[in-house]
Amino acid sequence: MTGQVDDTALMRLVDGEATARERVDIEAAAAADPALAARLSALRMSDRRLRDAFPAAADPRDVDLARLIAASSDARKTPSAWSRISGVLAPAFAPRPIAVWGALAAAAFVAGVVVAPMLDQQRTYPGTFTVADGGRIADVEAVQALDRRLAAEGPDARGYAVGLTFRDADGHWCRTFSAARSGVAGLACRQDDDWGLVALSPFVGPKSEVRTAAADTPQVVLDAVDARLSGETADAAAEKQARDAGWRQAPVG
Amino acid sequence: MDETKGARRFIHYGRGTRLDGFQTELVALLPRLRRFARVLRPADADAQDLLQQTVERALSQRGKYRPGTRLDSWTFTIMRRIAIDEGRRGQRWARVVAPEDDTTAQVPDPGLASEALRTDALLARDAIFALPSEQREAVALVLIEGLSYAEAAEVLGVPAGTLTSRLVRGRQALIERLAAEGVTG
Repeated sequence: MTGQVDDTALMRLVDGEATARERVDIEAAAAADPALAARLSALRMSDRRLRDAFPAAADPRDVDLARLIAASSDARKTPSAWSRISGVLAPAFAPRPIAVWGALAAAAFVAGVVVAPMLDQQRTYPGTFTVADGGRIADVEAVQALDRRLAAEGPDARGYAVGLTFRDADGHWCRTFSAARSGVAGLACRQDDDWGLVALSPFVGPKSEVRTAAADTPQVVLDAVDARLSGETADAAAEKQARDAGWRQAPVG
Repeated sequence: MDETKGARRFIHYGRGTRLDGFQTELVALLPRLRRFARVLRPADADAQDLLQQTVERALSQRGKYRPGTRLDSWTFTIMRRIAIDEGRRGQRWARVVAPEDDTTAQVPDPGLASEALRTDALLARDAIFALPSEQREAVALVLIEGLSYAEAAEVLGVPAGTLTSRLVRGRQALIERLAAEGVTG
């Protein structure tokens, strides 16, 4: 690309709104032009500062709001709804969510084991990543990424990326993913019409300009992949085919 | 390792009584709704009021929500409308965050690694509150909430080009302000 790259183009790039072509052009231009690279990095820096300044943290007052929600419409008839929802929120009320997360991570990943048995109720992890009862991933954006995203496409506009795709011994499709903005990466396997969480790990997205999907997968997630992998990971063609077929369970062969 | 064998063991769907999808998703959204409320209303008590009203209205207008569309965008839209209506009535949020305000203790995230990072986050917070509200909303929806341009434009009820230009101007102002405060890298 020649000539001036304007702020709008740079902004579209960092927001994931640029086309693949625009991205390639701007990245090439930035590689050749220190001033442009500096503008790009200033943009990313201010974005990061802004996100740091507004964490999505649980608040004790959410309990009352959740009670209000639980009491509405259909759930009004179901007395167990509230007990369920208080369980949803209780883990989030420690004064320092990060510390809770650290303890959970330490407990869960000591031997690269599976976290899902702990996830009998919904939890919201730092950022916006949400897991419903039984380990089902309830984060709509993560589910969308797992359903539709191909590894080669890299992160979407909200920072969700998919890495490895493979089948487990039962023929269920599994995929590794990362959610940079929520600060988690993990492994999810297909179960009925949902994605069940198998492993989850704190994840720090690459700080540099180049963002890749699979290269930054945390070791605990890779270990979970190894424990579950049956045969080879899918190549791009097999990944696309499985996606287009709706991630149906394949016969065990 | 029987504990870990077979995802089916621990994954249960649709069993027993549970909140419906709308309710579950709305509860899960609370932290993000509160965050957006804090962008619209810097004072903590005002943000809480705004969040409460938003939840109430979302529940009462549930019939208008189209399943399959994004609940976050829908509730952000509701919240913003309430904020605008309130703003016309009172301007009570004009009392900008004082140092002793109770939000200061909660923001930024205490998990941030260093004092310097926390200070930077406070500066970033001041910087966004210094923006005109239409730029602040655009910046919050895209940068903080992660909405696409099209989704953010819909929440704000503006054409995509308008959203883009607000975002560019808001960001330029943020960068200049942060640079002036000596926040780098």
